[in-house]
Amino acid sequence: MKISFYPGCSLEGMAKDYFHAIDAVFEAMDIDLVEIEDWSCCGATAAHSLSEAMSVILPARNLAAAEKMGLDIVAPCANCFNRLRYSQQIIKKKVFDIPWQVTGDIQVHDMTRFLAESSMIKLIKERVLKPLNGLKVVCYYGCQMVRPPKITGYTDYENPLTLDRIAAAAGAEVIDWSYKSTCCGASIGIARKEIGESLTMRILQKAQQAGAEAIVVSCPLCQSNLDIIQKDRPDRRTPIFYFAELLRLSFIAHGDPKWFKMHFTDPVPLLKAKGLL
Amino acid sequence: MQNTVSHQKGMAEHEPGKKRKLIGDRGNYFLDRIQGEAGVNISACFQCERCTNACPVSHFMDIKPHQAIRYIQLGWREDLLKSSTIWVCLSCEMCTTYCPNEVDVAETINHLRNMAAHSSITPKEKSLAVFHQTFLEVLRKSGKVNEFRLMNAYYLKPDIFQEKLKNGTLKEELLLGLTLLRKGRLKIFTPRSRAIKDIQKAYHQARGEIG
Amino acid sequence: MGSFVENPVGKVIVVGGGIGGIQCALDLADTGFYVYLVEKTHTLGGTMARLDKTFPTNDCSTCMFSPKLVQVAGHGNIEILPLTRILELNGGPGRFVAQVEKLPRYINEEKCISCGKCAEKCPKKVPDPFNGELATRKAAFLTFPQAVPLKYALDAENCLYLIKKKCGICKKICPAEAVEFDQKPEIFQIEAGAVIISTGFEPALTAQEGEFGYGRYQNVVTSLQYERMLSATGPYGGHLRRPSDHKVPGKVAWIQCAMSRDPARNRPFCSSVCCMHAAKQAVLTRSHEPETEATIYFLDIRAHGKGFDDYVDRARNQHGVRYRRSMISQVYLNPENDNLIIETFDHHLNRKKEEEYDLVVLSSGFKPSDDFIDLTKQMGLVTNPYGFLTTEFDEPVATSRPGIFVCGGIEAPKDIPETVIQAGAAAAEASILISDARNTEIVAEEVPVEKPIETTPRVGVLVCHCGTNIAGVVDIQEVLDYVKTLPSVVFATDFIFTCATETQQDIIQLIETHRLNRVVVAACSPKTHEPLFRDTLSEAGLNPYLFEMASIRDQCSWVHGNDPEKATQKSKALIRASVGRAIQLEPLYDKSYRIVNEGLVIGGGVAGLTAALTIADQGFRVHLVEKNDHLGGFTRNLKFTLEGHSPARLIRYLIERVSHHPKISVYLKSRLISHNGHLGAFNGTVQKEDGPVDIRYGAVIAATGGRPYEPKAYLYGQDERVLTQVEFSKRLLEDPVWARRLNRVVMVQCVGSREPDFPYCSRVCCSAAVKNSIKLNEMNPNAQVVVLYRDLRTFGFKELYYLKARKKGVLFFRYIPEEKPQVYNDNGKMLVDFTDRSSHQDFRVEPDLVVLSSGIRPDEGAKQIARLLKLPTSDEGFFLEAHVKLRPVEFASPGIFLAGLAHSPRFLEESITMAKSAGQQAMKILCKEEMKTSAAIAEIDTDICTACLVCVRVCPYGAPFINEDGVSQIPPSACMGCGTCASECPAKAIVLKHWTDDQILAKIDALLEPTF
Repeated sequence: MKISFYPGCSLEGMAKDYFHAIDAVFEAMDIDLVEIEDWSCCGATAAHSLSEAMSVILPARNLAAAEKMGLDIVAPCANCFNRLRYSQQIIKKKVFDIPWQVTGDIQVHDMTRFLAESSMIKLIKERVLKPLNGLKVVCYYGCQMVRPPKITGYTDYENPLTLDRIAAAAGAEVIDWSYKSTCCGASIGIARKEIGESLTMRILQKAQQAGAEAIVVSCPLCQSNLDIIQKDRPDRRTPIFYFAELLRLSFIAHGDPKWFKMHFTDPVPLLKAKGLL
Repeated sequence: MQNTVSHQKGMAEHEPGKKRKLIGDRGNYFLDRIQGEAGVNISACFQCERCTNACPVSHFMDIKPHQAIRYIQLGWREDLLKSSTIWVCLSCEMCTTYCPNEVDVAETINHLRNMAAHSSITPKEKSLAVFHQTFLEVLRKSGKVNEFRLMNAYYLKPDIFQEKLKNGTLKEELLLGLTLLRKGRLKIFTPRSRAIKDIQKAYHQARGEIG
Repeated sequence: MGSFVENPVGKVIVVGGGIGGIQCALDLADTGFYVYLVEKTHTLGGTMARLDKTFPTNDCSTCMFSPKLVQVAGHGNIEILPLTRILELNGGPGRFVAQVEKLPRYINEEKCISCGKCAEKCPKKVPDPFNGELATRKAAFLTFPQAVPLKYALDAENCLYLIKKKCGICKKICPAEAVEFDQKPEIFQIEAGAVIISTGFEPALTAQEGEFGYGRYQNVVTSLQYERMLSATGPYGGHLRRPSDHKVPGKVAWIQCAMSRDPARNRPFCSSVCCMHAAKQAVLTRSHEPETEATIYFLDIRAHGKGFDDYVDRARNQHGVRYRRSMISQVYLNPENDNLIIETFDHHLNRKKEEEYDLVVLSSGFKPSDDFIDLTKQMGLVTNPYGFLTTEFDEPVATSRPGIFVCGGIEAPKDIPETVIQAGAAAAEASILISDARNTEIVAEEVPVEKPIETTPRVGVLVCHCGTNIAGVVDIQEVLDYVKTLPSVVFATDFIFTCATETQQDIIQLIETHRLNRVVVAACSPKTHEPLFRDTLSEAGLNPYLFEMASIRDQCSWVHGNDPEKATQKSKALIRASVGRAIQLEPLYDKSYRIVNEGLVIGGGVAGLTAALTIADQGFRVHLVEKNDHLGGFTRNLKFTLEGHSPARLIRYLIERVSHHPKISVYLKSRLISHNGHLGAFNGTVQKEDGPVDIRYGAVIAATGGRPYEPKAYLYGQDERVLTQVEFSKRLLEDPVWARRLNRVVMVQCVGSREPDFPYCSRVCCSAAVKNSIKLNEMNPNAQVVVLYRDLRTFGFKELYYLKARKKGVLFFRYIPEEKPQVYNDNGKMLVDFTDRSSHQDFRVEPDLVVLSSGIRPDEGAKQIARLLKLPTSDEGFFLEAHVKLRPVEFASPGIFLAGLAHSPRFLEESITMAKSAGQQAMKILCKEEMKTSAAIAEIDTDICTACLVCVRVCPYGAPFINEDGVSQIPPSACMGCGTCASECPAKAIVLKHWTDDQILAKIDALLEPTF
């Protein structure tokens, strides 16, 4: 199986560990991820905020490249996924002239939905060597992957289940909670720290209240927000995992603690305590 | 402000001194412009406040989301473009998702942000506006956004540097940067993407669209 | 005659066995037609059977409803077809042929004796849909204790034998050998002259929608589930509990408009009833558990019915229900305690507020059931985009297919009284259509033969549990043991629901077995249930006057709920008293009298005209009295409706038909000046311009109408730029040039309504503002319209026009009564100042025109009619009906009915519906040849009477008169049996039969005996 892959900027920097985990997981599942050649930034929220035209044109460049490859896209980052989908819809409305050949007709999947298909879940279960038994997690989806439903296609935006299914397939004990898609503040914390903190702290607190030992995410920005804020708070020890990291861990008999060195909230003690490392 | 009147003599008995906003000429020009440009529907709003209740940051906004919709109906462009609301908005899409009248509140606020960015109005939330600008600058220069370069560029903006220096967070931010580097979460160099020419092209295209 | 088809069939098919279908069936069967009542489920009852209590009286829904159920079940001319659906409908008006399918019950209806053994022994427990799946029932089950027919059934989807041929216990233990696993669906044909659809609605909210965590969090329930949770027969036995842990919830929140007023979910209409049922549920919650907080989250309170605002005010002020005007986006779960968290924005504190609730009730909107969609397709009926069978304003019960009529929740979401009214109107239309076939298909009523009785009193006492209403407080066993010791009591037993249809057969059996010649029922109240038990006695061959009732629910368990011991002792005493009187009872015989087959309609507006036609079109004469020199009433002032129809055309049509109708005599510039007699035989005098005319009539319909309130504020009458909505719409049509010159118009709502002196809502004004805004916008798109309102009350599908007005740019601002808008004339410039509650901002507008939405008042003429006919009115002067829920078009005085604005403010189409319904109720009298009088009436001993006139003066019904012999005479048909004359007569010349001094004294003596 072959699909085009749009990693997005964060996976080359802040979320490099996510990239490595994805690579390992897809390789194990025999799915050929073909990185879109010479991809460029989707423009993220900034382009949308300052120039609606750019917010359509920038993702369109990547859509055009994937269309040329004749492959659907899978995107691991929630914001990239959202911007690509948004761009597709506006392209079809023909509001802006797009400087490249693009129809907007290919499928853009977020990586979790792609992997939560029943055939993929079956495949995941086949690959699991060491189920993550006893690891109590909540899954956190954030905003951009699920909202607005007209763009993302998530009709269950209040209670999305893709990450839940994936984490459960890896053997983790998934706890239902109400805050799956509340906002973590995105990049607002960089400029307005207090706003960002109030939102991320709330999510951590609610996860803890639900009985979670760790949080599973798919979005690089959600990961950093939830992870970094815990750095000077010894009372907060909730590791934030990318789902791909958990899959990677479950696919191998002996995981490597080094995989997790980019985390601020060190997951190694928890994993060791659970006998997973 | 043009749409405020003070009480005239003999009429101010019940609320002396309080400014009344005048529902003057129809706001339709502004309303129609936003409805047309952003492809959103504004007039259907019935002020149920679902958007404001759903918004995670409405308490940081001077004009609440449901009020912003009302302001558009009344044509109060200036108040909106000067508001903190348009910059504080996280584009989390809660408002849009829960609006029973299919008012795309988030897209509307985003459109106002676009309008403000292309106007001469000084943004109320300068640091937020500057962050978005910096992001685009970095993007234009390399086709991709390297977080290290983004943070550097952002903190070195005179306004931001001054502010961080003043409120004493500069040191903390610097230390965080170092830790990130140490953990390998920041990449110092990114090869210039071959996309840059294309991106420049896109910029020119977009500028044409904005007019 | 009035019939429109040749040789029609005198039968009607009514589809749907809820309150609408039941009322419709009764209204037809009582006017000479045979009715098939087709119900898809196992039992009649519909949504109303699932309700706990109903506002505004907070009466028990089952207690109100079960007499109706019993009446239908025992009606000789109503054939109930449960588990039945229509597969195909052919033919047309006058002669329809329906192919129907009856699904198997797997328990033979004829053989089942409802002993309940099958359910008791059935090993398979399943979630009980009747109880919103909050409780379980067995696969062998009875839907609810008052089900009609009261027969058990097997649930094919869950019965172990039916799904995998295992078990079969029920068949082994059934004493009646009624279990039949091999039953197959039966398909057969029925024929009818007309068809009525009354399939009702169901909650639109499903777990799949996932809104507000419904289906995800245990303590989020729908309003209909909450009804069951409050009900004595519900999952928690009438105690307030929450599903997750069965604890008493300390805080309950209601979220309004779930799946209503939500264009984003393709549900852009208002479900009309949710505001009031939430208010009721909150009040009941507070009375169940005074410590429990009740909070309602809403957008507009839609209390647009008679007395509704008053009820909401009481909920708020007396019962402490908290109202929060804020719509909710999402409900969160606190995993530590299963509480729910609701987040709102607090404007005063400028911060987010999290409030935690133990239970959240979602006021779910309503939709037609899914299988109804097949039915409409099958029948070729046109529905609106949301699946409802909406109708035209001038034909408010007609569907798109001739001969098929509609009523109830399937037409549009509506409450019980509106459903009952519409059911009557649908029955009227069917009745008019096939009136030639009246009395051709009916089964003659069997007159039960009275059996001789023993002279020694043999009293049987039946003690009712009333579910848990009585048994939850009173110790039934102790009462029974005691009762058996009373003199003359030869038998005593208890029943869970003595009023249940099935129990009546048991009672007949008991009368025979124990040779009872007096029966005492200790139960709810004789007011509601005495007629039922008397009929049972008749059927058993026992004179119905040998019956006595002890009210141990209303007077014991309800009022002494907190003292079971005393309630039990009081029950014993009351039963003892009843037994004392029962011994003294004697058989009495009803008399009959001729009916005057003519009707009188007072008022020549739309309601009066429609009521007159409803009767006249069925071939009966009508006298129509109008005080003005023209017909048409207030509707003559209306120019167009919200939906764009022309009231003028309707009026012209109605006047044309009435004026030329051979059966209608119109009296213009006339008044009714005297009115005497009684149901079926009234006589009165009409004062015409050229002198008085005496008329006789069997029934009266009071349709005295309403008038617009003339505003006293906002410069009305002082500045010509201030108009009422009625004046504005008139001017719009008459002067389009003027309309096109308007720049800005401000409309002020609730002028003269919802004020301390007139606290009711005038119902139509919000729609009038919306209507005129849209009209102005269409004529002059540049004109700006600003509507200042308190609660926008465009209920039902009228909400679509509110949406339309908003989309056209009409600005709606909410004000509060403490901050009324101010209208000034500033040196010739018109100014309006107001405070908007949404933006918390003060505004000023400079309009060209101010339009006042002034309310509706009852017509002045109503006062004279109320005095003359001795009819009760509300403080505001609207007539008071016999029962707000189930008898909305009748007065308590028999033979007198009401319709239109005289009842309460309403829309034109609603007045038409009500008039048709009132006409049909009158038909129940007019179509009969004779009527029975009660034997429990006053009798005068002419030897003692001194003609002192006391009785003539005190009788509230004007029955006694001094005859040619110089003594008082009371015509039996005029006496209502109230006994006022008997107690006032100084000579003791009057005896009230069935309530003689001996009987009453016996009762008092027995009461005064010590209990032990």
